[in-house]
Amino acid sequence: MATIEFKRISKKFGDETVIPDMNLKISDGEFVALLGPSGCGKSTTLFMLAGIYLPSGGELLFDDARVNEVEARDRNVGIVFQSYALYPHMTVSKNIAFPLRFQKTPESEIGRRVKEAAELVQVSELLDRRPEQLSGGQQQRVALARALVKNPALLLLDEPLSNLDATLRLAMRTEIKSLQERLRVTTVLVTHDQVEATTMADRIVCMCDGKIEQIGTPEDLYRRPASKFVAGFVGSPPINLFEGTVANGIVEFGDARLEITGDAGSSVAVGLRPEHLYFADSGIPATIVQHEPMGREILYVCETPLGLVRILETAAAASQSIGTSTHFRFETENTLAFDASSEKLIPRVRIRVPEK
Amino acid sequence: MAQNGHGADRNEAQKHWNLLAAKSQRNRRIKDASLFAFLIAASIPIIIPYFWLLTLAFSAGRAGVDTKVLWPSIFILVPAVVLTWIWATIADTRRQAMVGWGAIWSVTIIIYAIFIGPSLHLFNFRFLFNPDFNAAYREIVAAKDNPGFSVTAFPSVWTAFWNSLFIAGASTVVVVFAASLAGYYISRFQYRYRESSLAAMLVLHAFPTTVLLIPIFLVIWKIGLLDTLFGVMLVIVGIELPFAVFIMKGFFDAVPWEIEMSALTDGATRRQAFYKVVLPQVTNGMIAVAVFVFIRGWEEFIFVLTLLTSNVRWTMSLYTFFVTEETNLGVDYGVVSAVGVFYIIPSFVLYTIAQKYLLQMSVGGIKG
Repeated sequence: MATIEFKRISKKFGDETVIPDMNLKISDGEFVALLGPSGCGKSTTLFMLAGIYLPSGGELLFDDARVNEVEARDRNVGIVFQSYALYPHMTVSKNIAFPLRFQKTPESEIGRRVKEAAELVQVSELLDRRPEQLSGGQQQRVALARALVKNPALLLLDEPLSNLDATLRLAMRTEIKSLQERLRVTTVLVTHDQVEATTMADRIVCMCDGKIEQIGTPEDLYRRPASKFVAGFVGSPPINLFEGTVANGIVEFGDARLEITGDAGSSVAVGLRPEHLYFADSGIPATIVQHEPMGREILYVCETPLGLVRILETAAAASQSIGTSTHFRFETENTLAFDASSEKLIPRVRIRVPEK
Repeated sequence: MAQNGHGADRNEAQKHWNLLAAKSQRNRRIKDASLFAFLIAASIPIIIPYFWLLTLAFSAGRAGVDTKVLWPSIFILVPAVVLTWIWATIADTRRQAMVGWGAIWSVTIIIYAIFIGPSLHLFNFRFLFNPDFNAAYREIVAAKDNPGFSVTAFPSVWTAFWNSLFIAGASTVVVVFAASLAGYYISRFQYRYRESSLAAMLVLHAFPTTVLLIPIFLVIWKIGLLDTLFGVMLVIVGIELPFAVFIMKGFFDAVPWEIEMSALTDGATRRQAFYKVVLPQVTNGMIAVAVFVFIRGWEEFIFVLTLLTSNVRWTMSLYTFFVTEETNLGVDYGVVSAVGVFYIIPSFVLYTIAQKYLLQMSVGGIKG
């Protein structure tokens, strides 16, 4: 168990700066997700934590002690990769025992601990198999057992669910989460899937281009996204964003006008989440051009004066067919506004549908 | 009415489908048959000489080129091969095919034993026990009065055998060891001129090594390794290493980084990760490289001819060469063939054992 701290960490590969300046504190036993699109530096961050990459600058602290130069094998870190990275020439039990061999653990204890770890992730009956004889989900469990067998101070998960099919992904998500809660091991998850991040992590670090956009609970990122990027990245289906110019309490988007309250700059980006929009008899006119049933809900794509808008309605509500002309509305407290140039959230600025 | 009309349509359609199915099956058979025919035609120029070698080794006497066994053997074996092939296209199940082949070949073996069996003998293999197998010729040659020609004194074939084994074996060990380490480094580490050094290595392999004969002779002579097996081994290592490194690099490229990173976080040092985790993934590549280098060393001729002078350091290739030379006078094709067969056996055994790994070489991925 350990606390982790990034103090002004930077990482360069040759002339290319991948991470310019990173500051982050992770408390003991916390489950943190690094969320971002591919190439945002989240994997680089993970490899610095593992000790595979050396930071180019700054200080990396484990329990307040500097570990920048400490080698991977001395950090007591367990890691699970997307590809599982099991050793193909070893049986499952040898795979799990591998980390213990380097700790000069007595043979009898190795056997006991391998058994314990295997039980923890329910692979006890697979111990004599080879990795190629296992399904993806089983390989994933073995990789987890191997990472956990040495009681790591820090558990790193690099896109651990991406290679699993949808059903299995859901099951493993729950399982990893409950395992982490039981063991209280400090955990860092790297993912590009916002659902994975929001469902599993205590806190999410949303990254873009090597910079941290926002650190917060899943709730924070959804309700109060710090920037346009975070708003666009978190939430499914993705948020509707429209840029407009502000004058005298009115935002203008070409043909459409909405009222704006609070002190915004001259131009803003307005964020409306599809699940906060609903059809009504009056409001902003909309023509339905597409509908995608998603089970409990239906996602409508509508042509409006604002542009194309995604609206999520429960399937129980009167189904709208393609070509129907209607209106949609939203509640003022559910709106977000971002400064158009800095792309940061402007707090307490809300949008309202004008009443005519 | 409507029902009937519909039924007639369906019959028509079914007929149409049947025709198409028959056509596709016919095409498939023709394709298979032509492929087999091509393979057989292409392999005949290689198979016939080997067949000649094998037949003569076990049948020829001392009386010049002897075809009284060769032709009958061909008449017996070729129909058997053709029958085997025809049966393969006719048989529907694997079991049927096996039974048919079993029958064809038992009959062939019986016929062969009856007609050819009595002419087979092992007399041509006398060189295995008697280094002076050509004693009889020496007298004939001497009697013929060839001025300026003396019959070569042969060492025991086993001396040549062990010499060849040493050269091939030692160069294999050195090349596999060096190529594994170098291939790993090139695959995993970035360094200046990485691309160009790889390209240069391949170019080295592309040049005909014969042009280096004299320079290499001079170098080997200067460092005092002339007429030593060790010198020849060094030359073979030098020639084979670039391509071996390239092949090993391809195999290391195919080993995912994550496995190595896992090992490092699991507590291994870089070296431990290499030996315990990465190396076991490329054993197939090492075996493939080993087989190729061994065979290259085993069949090496031009450098051993140049660099080895005394006959106690003859290799199998030199032995075979001199047996052939020698026989130009007295013509004992039986012994020449027998030596050839003896020379081929180790390569053949090695290939058969390692075939599985050699086939994987293309799968292991030779890519830049």
